[in-house]
Amino acid sequence: MDRQTFIIFHILAIVVVIGSMLTGLRIAIVSQDWLSPVSVLLPQGQMHLWHLGFGVTITLIIACYLWYSFTRPFRSVQSKYHKIINYLGYSSLLLISLSGWMIWANLFTDTARTMHQFAIWMMCFYLFLHSWIYIIQNGRTVLRVLLPKRTSIRHIGLVCSILTASIAGLFLIKSSTQQLTVLTINDATFIDIDGKANEDAWQKATPISVMTIGGANFKQGATEVTIRALANKYESYFLISWLDETKSTNHLPLLKTRSGWQVQENGFYNYDERTFYEDKFAVMLSDGCEAGGDKTLHLGDNPIKNKPKNWHGKGYHASLDGKTRDLWHWKAVRTNDMYLADDNFIGPPAQHLSGQRRYTAGYQPDGKESGAYVMNWQWYTPNGIVPKRLPEHALQTSPSHDSVLPWFGSRPYDASHDRYPIGTLLSSVLYRSNRFEGDRADVRARGEWQNGRWTLELVRKHNTQSQYDVALKTGTCMWVSAFDHAQVAHTRHIQAIKLRYSL
Amino acid sequence: MIKRLIWSAIIFALLITICLLPREHPQISHHQRFTKIAQSGNPLLPWQGPWACVLDNKHKVLWEVKTDNETIHDGYWTYSWFDGQHGKSNFGDCYFEPNRCDTDDLIRHTNKQGLCGQHNWRLPSAEELNSLVQDPSSPSQPFIANDYFLHIKRGDYWSSEHNITLPSQYRHHGKGATAINFHFGKPGILPYRNAAFVMLVADIPTANTHPQLSRRATIKQHQ
Repeated sequence: MDRQTFIIFHILAIVVVIGSMLTGLRIAIVSQDWLSPVSVLLPQGQMHLWHLGFGVTITLIIACYLWYSFTRPFRSVQSKYHKIINYLGYSSLLLISLSGWMIWANLFTDTARTMHQFAIWMMCFYLFLHSWIYIIQNGRTVLRVLLPKRTSIRHIGLVCSILTASIAGLFLIKSSTQQLTVLTINDATFIDIDGKANEDAWQKATPISVMTIGGANFKQGATEVTIRALANKYESYFLISWLDETKSTNHLPLLKTRSGWQVQENGFYNYDERTFYEDKFAVMLSDGCEAGGDKTLHLGDNPIKNKPKNWHGKGYHASLDGKTRDLWHWKAVRTNDMYLADDNFIGPPAQHLSGQRRYTAGYQPDGKESGAYVMNWQWYTPNGIVPKRLPEHALQTSPSHDSVLPWFGSRPYDASHDRYPIGTLLSSVLYRSNRFEGDRADVRARGEWQNGRWTLELVRKHNTQSQYDVALKTGTCMWVSAFDHAQVAHTRHIQAIKLRYSL
Repeated sequence: MIKRLIWSAIIFALLITICLLPREHPQISHHQRFTKIAQSGNPLLPWQGPWACVLDNKHKVLWEVKTDNETIHDGYWTYSWFDGQHGKSNFGDCYFEPNRCDTDDLIRHTNKQGLCGQHNWRLPSAEELNSLVQDPSSPSQPFIANDYFLHIKRGDYWSSEHNITLPSQYRHHGKGATAINFHFGKPGILPYRNAAFVMLVADIPTANTHPQLSRRATIKQHQ
């Protein structure tokens, strides 16, 4: 390899590594708060596809460079220091690439994620010891060494080949999926949606496992999700289980203090509660299968033009291509006793309402005819609240804050009746009526927690005919996320799960 | 080399400073038409609450805000149309009257209460009520600014416009009154005996005698 070819590789590597680090840091901030100060320096928006693209290019550069090095090695004159430091660069690049592909392929994802992060810091250390030292030693003359003096058609061809191969590679892998085979069952086969999964049919269905990462409170932020699916002529059934050491139903409990009632929270003011929250599980369905949530993730504190900032700085879900993605949101307290998952959707960014402090962009609930849970406060402030209702009978010593307060077992708040002792805990969730009715109630669901594992059964019609739902059919893609007593800090995975029906 | 080291330190310090600058939070934006008003009559910022009324700067009126606390303002209560002389009394459903409810009951109770410092509550005209119709912000919401008007049902709301000939299917009930349907965002004429929802309105005198309601312009944005 001649010097000019090496310089071409070097420039490509600089651009791609910096691009990869900027997009990667933006993705990392979603689950690592301590990185948030650098947020101001990072790009915002749909980062996953860019990150994947940079990953493909890095891999191609490594492959080409290795091929050149073995066939026509480049002999440079370097100090011993820089030779040693370069080994740090080579090894970190290899480790970044290898661990990145392991995360993409769902292979030892939790370990690979740790390796990926370790390798990134190795790379930062390398950039400091390599680039900065060169700049300090040589000043502006570094540019003379860095920039090509003459470019031949061969060099332009090399760059174009790598970029073309990268784009082609990205197109090939961005829609790669894992397949979930949906077992056909007889229409007469009864599946009880009770979270127990004790029907024989479930044992016959082939399970797939997906390691989901990046969630709050899980061990190393990761939990493995196992999914089985059944279908009769009318409905699809899903059995989903995931590890969660603690059953969390302590949802924003109300605590009586000397100064009145207070919402127990740790981040709720910024809509990122991670302590006093229920466990949840989300399933997203889409006709598209693009890696990283099918273009619905917009990262950063202000990732969508002309829309408000978000409070937690992580980002929004929205579909800017106008297509609707279905979102089933099972909640261990708010919907579990309704035997439902909250049927929501991700659509175009909603209109900003000046009277609402929280803006959720494209994440919206389906319409409903009636039924609801409501929060048991007249108006939330971090300094204290007045409950909407108090139980009709004095609170038991049992942890009543772990359950839902029924509307017809409670009465409107009256200060003269509020004689509860300091330290009393009260539920923050009120069932206004029995359950949702209408479009929002399309997904029946029930979860049960036992021995450190949630088991969740879900069922929905293949096609609800709702404009806010996605039909369940061969080719429909699915993503899953678990929440361990966290409001938004959920786990995630890269590749979609593609449904395959034999009906 | 020392010069380069100094420049490196300056650039590094600048980057650190940029990263450590306090982050801007989402900003409050005022609604062009509506202002939240507390029960006391005090104006509130768009993200403050709870509020009992909404000041409508277009029509210079106050709107009653519905609740879910089983008081006279609960959004679930329904009323037949009755002004003390015309209409049908006590054909709606509520908890606060020994008999059933009509629009006159809600007006009487609200004026007695002095909601938001006002004692001149009335049914809105069809034009006033219809002016609240706007596209819903999400599929489950009614055709109204639901960030200001809470607990509005996707159903019919009475206006004061009455003594109107009913459509043919209701003709046997005689005359009726205009209601605005916030499910479809359209007006309709209903028999007086129909149980519909109500959102009251109160006029603000041109020379406002209620000092707190004229303070909107002086509210400063704060976090």
